[in-house]
Amino acid sequence: MTIATLTWLIPLPPLLAFFLILLFTRRNNAISHIVGVGTAALSWLLGMIVFIAAIGAEHLGENPITSSVGWLALGDKIFSIGVLIDPLSAVTLFFVAWTVLMIFIYSIGYHNFGQPKGAHDVPGLPPEGAEEHGHRVPSVEPMYARFFAFIGLFAFGMYTLVVSDNLLTLFVGWEIMGLCSYLLIGFWYAKPSAKAAAIKAFMTTRVGDVFMLLGIVALYSATGTLSFREILYSHEVLETLANTPAGVWGLSAAGLIGLLLFIGTVGKSAQWPLHVWLPDAMEGPTPVSAMIHAATMVSAGVYMVLRMFPLLSAGWVEGGDLTTTMTVMAFIGAFTALFAATIALAQKDIKRVLAYSTISQLGYMIAALGIGAYVAAAFHLVTHAFFKALLFLGSGSVIHGMEHGVLQTGEHIDAQDMFNMGGLKSKMPITFWTFLIGGFALSGFPLITAGFWSKDEILADAFANGRWIVFGVLALAAVLTAFYTMRQITLTFLGTPRTKAAEHASESVRTMTLPLIVLAVFAIGAGWVGIPESFPGIGGVLPSWFHDFVGGTLLEHPPAAVFNATPLLVSFAVALGGLGLGWLAYRRSGQTDPLRQPLGPIYTLLERKYYFDELYDWLFVRPVKWFAEQFTYLFLDRQVIDGILHRIARAAFSLGRIFRTYFDAPVVNGFGDFTASVTQSFGRALRKIQTGQVQQYLLFVALLAFGGLFYYLLTILQ
Amino acid sequence: MDFITDHLLSFILFSPLVGGLIVLLIPGENKDFTRRLALVLSLIPLAFTLVAWLGFGAAPEANGFRYQEQVNWYPAINSSYHLGVDGLSLSMVLLTALLSPLAILASFSVDERVKPYMALFLALETGMLGVFLSLDLLLFFVFWEIGLVPMYFLIDQWGSKTGERELWSGMKVSARGYASFKFMIYTMAGSLGLLLAIQMLGVVSGTFDMLALFQSWPSLTGSLFGLSIETVKAIAFWAFAIAFAIKVPVWPFHTWLPDAHTEAPTAGSMILAGVLLKLGAYGFLRLVLPLYPAQAQLYAGTLALLATLAIIFGAFAAYGQRDFKRLVAYSSVNHMGFVVLGIAAAAFAAGTESATIALNGAILQMFNHGISAAAMFFLVGVIYERTHTRDLDEWGGLFPLVPVFGGLLIFSSMSSLGLPGLNGFVSEFLVVRGAWPIFTLFTALSMLGLLFTGAYILKGIAKTLHGPLNEKWKGHITEINRREIAVLAPLLLLMLWLGLWPAWLLNVINQAVVTFFG
Amino acid sequence: MIPLSWYLVLAAALFSLGLYGVLARKNAIAILMGVELMLNAVNVNLVAFWRYLTPDSVSGQAFAVMVFAVAAAEVAVGLALVISIYRRRKTVAADEINLMKW
Repeated sequence: MTIATLTWLIPLPPLLAFFLILLFTRRNNAISHIVGVGTAALSWLLGMIVFIAAIGAEHLGENPITSSVGWLALGDKIFSIGVLIDPLSAVTLFFVAWTVLMIFIYSIGYHNFGQPKGAHDVPGLPPEGAEEHGHRVPSVEPMYARFFAFIGLFAFGMYTLVVSDNLLTLFVGWEIMGLCSYLLIGFWYAKPSAKAAAIKAFMTTRVGDVFMLLGIVALYSATGTLSFREILYSHEVLETLANTPAGVWGLSAAGLIGLLLFIGTVGKSAQWPLHVWLPDAMEGPTPVSAMIHAATMVSAGVYMVLRMFPLLSAGWVEGGDLTTTMTVMAFIGAFTALFAATIALAQKDIKRVLAYSTISQLGYMIAALGIGAYVAAAFHLVTHAFFKALLFLGSGSVIHGMEHGVLQTGEHIDAQDMFNMGGLKSKMPITFWTFLIGGFALSGFPLITAGFWSKDEILADAFANGRWIVFGVLALAAVLTAFYTMRQITLTFLGTPRTKAAEHASESVRTMTLPLIVLAVFAIGAGWVGIPESFPGIGGVLPSWFHDFVGGTLLEHPPAAVFNATPLLVSFAVALGGLGLGWLAYRRSGQTDPLRQPLGPIYTLLERKYYFDELYDWLFVRPVKWFAEQFTYLFLDRQVIDGILHRIARAAFSLGRIFRTYFDAPVVNGFGDFTASVTQSFGRALRKIQTGQVQQYLLFVALLAFGGLFYYLLTILQ
Repeated sequence: MDFITDHLLSFILFSPLVGGLIVLLIPGENKDFTRRLALVLSLIPLAFTLVAWLGFGAAPEANGFRYQEQVNWYPAINSSYHLGVDGLSLSMVLLTALLSPLAILASFSVDERVKPYMALFLALETGMLGVFLSLDLLLFFVFWEIGLVPMYFLIDQWGSKTGERELWSGMKVSARGYASFKFMIYTMAGSLGLLLAIQMLGVVSGTFDMLALFQSWPSLTGSLFGLSIETVKAIAFWAFAIAFAIKVPVWPFHTWLPDAHTEAPTAGSMILAGVLLKLGAYGFLRLVLPLYPAQAQLYAGTLALLATLAIIFGAFAAYGQRDFKRLVAYSSVNHMGFVVLGIAAAAFAAGTESATIALNGAILQMFNHGISAAAMFFLVGVIYERTHTRDLDEWGGLFPLVPVFGGLLIFSSMSSLGLPGLNGFVSEFLVVRGAWPIFTLFTALSMLGLLFTGAYILKGIAKTLHGPLNEKWKGHITEINRREIAVLAPLLLLMLWLGLWPAWLLNVINQAVVTFFG
Repeated sequence: MIPLSWYLVLAAALFSLGLYGVLARKNAIAILMGVELMLNAVNVNLVAFWRYLTPDSVSGQAFAVMVFAVAAAEVAVGLALVISIYRRRKTVAADEINLMKW
């Protein structure tokens, strides 16, 4: 089998798992998770084979692994779909395969496999725990098998998206993930909050998706193909697109298409102003959050704009003025990075902090791409996927431990609220150390962690190209990131337990800690493949492989940024400063946030997420409901259109009544009735002679006969 | 055997009618036997259709149509019994022949007057097939009208028993009576003009044969009743267009649809949405575009605007519903809007690549909507039979009680929503792709409708399956049974198959589009 | 030779007797008998006219025979009806039988 054939096969095992589990094995938890994890492992294996083949290939950018097959016949043309492994999809495949497999394994423990069934557990609600030997213990998830089916489909969507060689199948994977996020966020569908969050996630991303669909369609119309290679690897096509005016806002065709596609990313990667769905998506089980926020869905948005970068930047030359589309991206990315980081400062829920940090980090990548730092954005995508997956799974482990404590003590507290935690370091050592690694990577702890290298590269690139605003905003966001990360670590793991439940928390099972350890390795090591050669001291010890490899995806390989000490020092300062401040502020915190007092109303504003949910509810949701129900249905259809129809019917009805009253009834019926009544009165008069007496009849006959005879004789005689 | 292959279309066309007569005439009151008999009989046209489908490529072809049959019918006015199929009509015939047995299987739960019900259903099938198979305008019209009658009785006699509709000043009628009457009168109002226009065509050109008319009519000169030929053509165009627009239905002629769909029995809604709506779109494709290319191009913008309004308002109105069945009914307005948008685009830019893609998309969308709407209506019927309500607010949290039903509902809903990987997406994508360069603004606006497709579909799922369990259904609702799964299974398989590999159908359609409109 | 008028007088008397019976008697059987008398009065006339006026043709005889046949049939049907009525209504009085009254 060739590598291309293997690439075709990568997405299929999880899809198979989806159908197998739902159709056949859903009643048996053990077989279901064996099928689920087994197929994920198979995809992982295939992915690694393809990845190793890809990094071994000479000039993969110029000669990628491709294979395609005709899918639709349209007119005299054939629309083909296929697979493509170029450097970008190879590295994406790498982190997707690893994180997906880890999340699958983690799910076994997270959903309490092997635990007894809870007496009061119902499908659609989180398990409440069971009684065993007089102790409250966690109970197994009632929809355990179904969960593996759903994440299988999710994995299928992501793999499809990564290996696609065209925008259409990418969109297929994209939307399948959208469905899965809906199903998984709403996994505990009986909770009204989960149901609302699922719908919110689907609808908000769909806003982006319809724009993206338009972008795809516009691109297809303009170029006659959707194949990445034919569009993005051809100077000619890109130049035509860059020089054709689109007719709106002075954009070029490439600019308009790029903007439309980018709106898709705004939805999927939860950028402002479509960021509102992502924090609510925390309603799903934690592996889902990891799946959505790290490994797959949000990465898909950034992956797509990375993929389409040559189109987005068509007409831009390295170091020149940014195109409109890129400016928009840089603005939205940088703004989101800062905006989400500020909200994260005031959140209590351990997962929500991570959710906002995800939004913020994705903003980093978008901003990087907006200023043309292609490789840096891709690098941050990879490292972020690893450490954010680690953090989410770690937070899941924390929550799990806390829930254990809650079951033990019977306290009624929110197991996700960080102000109920504290001192978990000694209770859950593995979780603590891995979480610490993940948190430090997120903060960009210098030199060791992966996050430092990717974040530094973005800052260095912004600095080198003189994008001062972006540089400043991102640096500020980095301080905040380090600050809230340290706040989280301090509140959760350090100090003393704030509740009894925290005292009774215990370390999670092996299936949960193992993925944490594996991801922690990547959260550190993934950065070492991209250390700039010019970095003082350790540059060049390890070859700067990432830049050359991923840079090869583009037609013109982007140059590495020249080393400059200023951004490096800024990186050091923001990471260490933020971490230090965070520790100082929260190391003695009680159950209220020490920042609440000094910040006052600003804190409330941040806590309420700048009131965006309320704003959107007031601005969109309510008017739309009114418009749909009151205007479109009750007014337009029922009143206006049906009203007109009824008026026509009524007019016909009245006309008929007029005919009836003034012509039909008096004239036509009158004549008929008259004839009938005359006949009737004759009959009435004559019936008197019908007595029924046969002799009377005969008498009449006889009399008539004689009368006739007499008359006859009389006439004859005369 | 030769006799059968030579008259294959006649066999397809009349086997349901004969089947209906058999059902009606066979004595005995055993309802179960009648149902099974009707099901078996409805499989016969499907078998013939499959034979036609498989042998389609090899069948002799003339003027783009295969399996032609022609017999004198009204020689005095040059009208003949002329049948024939191309990829467009064959795919519609396949849809009809496929949905009819499923609809009959779905009606096994009908318990009153089973015999006339089944007979009417089979007669309805002949009416619908006739429209797709006819190559003679008069014959087309005859079948067009034949289809109406059984449907009227199905809604009026077997429709939902409850519900009233106020007409004016307190005058109330039963909901099903209102719906059936509205359906009948509205369609008749359209077909009146259609009949007159057909006669006008016949008088001016001396034949009713479509193939001859395709050749001669667009380039015809002369006059009728002192009117110039251009005026005649414009009048005939509007007569045709309005008749078909009512049937599709295009906004604002759509209000009969939610009423008829909501009140019809489950299987009736399946056929109504699955096939009857396609008659209108088929009319546009088969008659309006080829006969009036100039007029169609002139008024394509109007048609596209109406289609866009249908897409947007259909989606909003569906979102504004509390009645699940009416929600699904409005989704038909929304989805058929895409068909019309594709047709309008093709009318405006006939012969271009975009037009070809739009037409392919529109025809595929007809097929896809037939499948997914039928499945959706059936699922609504399934839950209605168990709970005797269609009110979304009465349900809630039913998923744990009926997990299989829930899964199937989500699957079908996703097909209806146009989720990539399932059938609806391919056709919607092609329509949007085809229409974008031609009607950019309308296409962009129609995205609003596409967005709210998501909203109403999710509303339906959320209100039915999700949320806290409405305790009153606990123990009162049973899981979907085997017969019902058997109705759905072919539809769901087709959704998946068409979503992953639409080529088997699209190749046939594309062939027709290229020869017929290329 | 007896003149024709004698026969005619006989026939008229017979007819009048019959008519009286039909109109005046209550018993349905008596009415039937009256009818018979009237028929036979006609027969007498037929035969008499034949013998005196047209002895060459047999039409008078033939009609008389026909009247016999009709009379026989009439009696048969009439009696059957009377019996049937008797069975149902336990009477044969004509004035009590007025089923056909308006």
